[in-house]
Amino acid sequence: MNLTTRRATRAAIGFLGAWAMAAALAVSAFASHVTPTTTVPDTVTAGEEMSIPVILRAADGAAVAGTTVTFYLHASFAGVTGEAEIGRAVTDDTGLAALTYKPRLAGHHEIRMEYLAPGDDEIQVATTAFEATGDVQLYRTEPSVSVPGLDVGLLMAVVSTVWMILFGVALLLVAIARAGKPGDALSLESRG
Amino acid sequence: MAALSEWQRRLEETALAPVRRTGLRYWALVAFLLAVIGWGAYAYFIQLRDGLVVTGMRDRISWGLYIATFVFFIGISHAGTLISAILRVSGARWRTPVTRMAEFITVVALVCGASFVIIDMGRPDRLLFVFVYGRWQSPIIWDVLAITTYLTASITYLFVPMIPDLAMFRDRLAGRTSRWRGWLYRVVAIGWQGKPSQRRLLASAIGVLMILIIPIAVSVHTVVSWVFAMTLRVPWNSALFGAFFVAGAIFSGIAILIIVMAILRRVYHLGEYVTEKHFVYLGYLMAAFAAIMIYANISELLTHGYKLEEGVEFHFRQLFLAEFAPLFWFYLLGGLVAPIVIALLPATRNVRGMVVAAILVTFAMWIERFVIVVTGLRVPLMPYEPADYFPTWIEWSLLAAGLALFALLITIFSKVFPIIAVWEVAEEHESMPVVPETVEPAAPEILEPSGGTS
Amino acid sequence: MSDRARHKRPALEKPEQPEQPEQSERPRPDSSDVAQGGYRVGRRGLLRLLGLGALSAAPLPVLPEVLRAALDIGDPPRPLKKAARAANGRIRQWTMIIDLRSCDGCQSVGKPPQCTLACIEGHFAPEPMEWIEVFEGELPGGGTQFIPTPCQHCQNPPCVNVCPVAATFSTPEGTVLIDQDRCIGCRICMAACPYDRRFFNWGDAPVPPESLLVDYSAEHQVPVRKGTVMKCDFCPDMARTGTLPYCVQGCPQRAIYYGDLEEDIATNGRVVVSASRFLAENDAYRLKEDLGTGPRVYYIPGHGEAVGRDVFTPERQPTEWPWMERVEGAVTWQR
Repeated sequence: MNLTTRRATRAAIGFLGAWAMAAALAVSAFASHVTPTTTVPDTVTAGEEMSIPVILRAADGAAVAGTTVTFYLHASFAGVTGEAEIGRAVTDDTGLAALTYKPRLAGHHEIRMEYLAPGDDEIQVATTAFEATGDVQLYRTEPSVSVPGLDVGLLMAVVSTVWMILFGVALLLVAIARAGKPGDALSLESRG
Repeated sequence: MAALSEWQRRLEETALAPVRRTGLRYWALVAFLLAVIGWGAYAYFIQLRDGLVVTGMRDRISWGLYIATFVFFIGISHAGTLISAILRVSGARWRTPVTRMAEFITVVALVCGASFVIIDMGRPDRLLFVFVYGRWQSPIIWDVLAITTYLTASITYLFVPMIPDLAMFRDRLAGRTSRWRGWLYRVVAIGWQGKPSQRRLLASAIGVLMILIIPIAVSVHTVVSWVFAMTLRVPWNSALFGAFFVAGAIFSGIAILIIVMAILRRVYHLGEYVTEKHFVYLGYLMAAFAAIMIYANISELLTHGYKLEEGVEFHFRQLFLAEFAPLFWFYLLGGLVAPIVIALLPATRNVRGMVVAAILVTFAMWIERFVIVVTGLRVPLMPYEPADYFPTWIEWSLLAAGLALFALLITIFSKVFPIIAVWEVAEEHESMPVVPETVEPAAPEILEPSGGTS
Repeated sequence: MSDRARHKRPALEKPEQPEQPEQSERPRPDSSDVAQGGYRVGRRGLLRLLGLGALSAAPLPVLPEVLRAALDIGDPPRPLKKAARAANGRIRQWTMIIDLRSCDGCQSVGKPPQCTLACIEGHFAPEPMEWIEVFEGELPGGGTQFIPTPCQHCQNPPCVNVCPVAATFSTPEGTVLIDQDRCIGCRICMAACPYDRRFFNWGDAPVPPESLLVDYSAEHQVPVRKGTVMKCDFCPDMARTGTLPYCVQGCPQRAIYYGDLEEDIATNGRVVVSASRFLAENDAYRLKEDLGTGPRVYYIPGHGEAVGRDVFTPERQPTEWPWMERVEGAVTWQR
């Protein structure tokens, strides 16, 4: 082989090698790759339980079981934005990991799902989103006890009775005074 | 009959004497008491100007001498209830000479007690808020309700049985006393002529009141105790507080009554009517209530001390062994055990012995109120060092002024109103030879010559 | 007729008249009088009596309202703006979660606890009030832990239950505030609080010039009023606008989380967490839970290990009130 041929061959091998490496890399990236599939119901009511499912399938369509999927809610509160973990689920035999979640706010929710598929060394991410509606106050303060009848009304009844009797005594005093007036001696005694 | 009316005349003269003659001693006493009250007013002025920081109270021990004294005065206001009402309902005839003084004490003690709550307030300028913004669910409002009701009922209960005596004053003093006094007696006697119809009405009124005032009085000190028992403080969180406080109130009320009786008896020569028998009987009652208090204390302390929940151990240590031990043991031994011993020993079962017992009980009960308030707040709620509380001169001055006010009002009452229930004493006396009494046939021996010393 | 019945009759003789010695003149009531207690009222009279009595007692339950109307005092508007609401209009339910794994009492910082300091500076809390106070509690085994303790904002608040004039009250957001324009200074709330979180203005606390320009509101308790009670208020005016309270901002270890139980979210200024999950997964507890007060402040057990504190290093720096140095003649007292 002359020099040109040798150079061309080396270049070709170099290119081929690079491509092969790239292809290998790409194939390896795709080959271990797991496809997440998410579906979310259309109408979600805040405060009611709903399910956020994700199905992990390998490239050949086989279900990826036993993988832990961590769910995060993209949230913003008091000027701080971040991802709040809302739960974990493990994929079952069909590759389904479903998180039972009760959305607390109405509005747009962005869910981020992270998982580490077997054989991978990087965490993969899937996302989904849904809208929630509803305006019912959800948080209930701790229960108290209310016994019908045992309230302020009872106190008022007792106090009123006592003051009524005192008032009656005052009326008796008025009667004493009136009985003392001369000429009135007959009026009260004869009334009885 | 002649002897009876002579006896009656002597009784009426004795009752009228304080109103007829006023000596130098009276004015000297009034001047002294006014001076003490004036000093207390100055102390209160400083407190108003600078705030409650001039007292010894702080965040950790936020109640102190004022609240203890408030509870103490409301407690001794139960003197009237026991003597007048309970003994009247049960028909104990020996009560008649002392009922009036007991009823005086009730009214005056309530007034003094209520003023200590106002003194303790951080914003007394907002006192009306209690009525305008009051919450029925608050123990403080229950206090206001109960004390207002009790004060009204007590004033009525003081006034109604006094009407015949006021009529006697009106008639006997007509024209022989100052114009305003004549006018006063004419007005407050509300036209009493002794007519049968009036007597019937009076009997009804007294009958209603004497039954009504017993539950009112019980409710007053119960709700006062609930100011403490409705909180979560370890030494106060007890279901027994209501009954405990009512028993303590009647107990301290009897003691104050004995002291006031002894003083008025000597000063106004009531020895013929208020005899050693009365002191001994009241002493027996006081001993009985001391026994009840011992029982209540055992119930409370044993049930808590047996288990020693958190906080109770600290409380027991401060109460029995450490900081408050001298005060608490004085209360137990001097205030609860001593009256029983004094009542039981024949050597001390006399006027002097009973007065000594009463003085011990009075001190001990004030100390007990003080200890309840301060030790209750002293148990640490979180991990911090327990605080200490020492009243300042302002608090002591106001306590002295409160006691002086109590004494002053009783002194003035005794000069204006009949200090002994003349018609009731006469009624009891005239029935004495007719029906053999089941108690104390030795009465004639104890009767001292009229106008005698005690 | 028994002696007892006879004694209940007032048997008073007429005023002294020696020419009438006979007692038989005293009229004796007949037995029917005794049976009825002496005064025959009659049915009409009884109804009149009951009616008048009922009328006299009827206004009692509404007496405060009647008095307010009579004295022409309007119910003073609680100086609160509208309740804090989340994006969808539901009312916030403020909560605080204190992660004790990150709290070392600011030992590593070498200063007094910064949460307390930030609160004092922000609210001009008079000395010696520490509305959020860092207690040092003992652990089984001998070490200590630091427990920053703000007002617990209980759901069954003993202080609100006992206040006679409703000066302390629960808000729709679940916080407990004090209206110093209504407080009468009786201090029963201080006796009732089981966490030692209420403080009294015993004297004239100094007022910094800045506070004089502020309109008083129960939501920031500035300027102080002598003779009233104060405490931590969860910084409601700041929280409503989406700013974290002073103590949350001031903590250098980010140990304090502020959150909303309605939205189930909390933040310490750096991360956002789901409140319920954060509490459940970390075994959160509340102080003195057995008392039934239902506090809104949760604690995650720890002793500062997350920021490198050894459990056997006791003591923290004592609290300072730096703004007091700027005011001349500052009046203070001991706790």
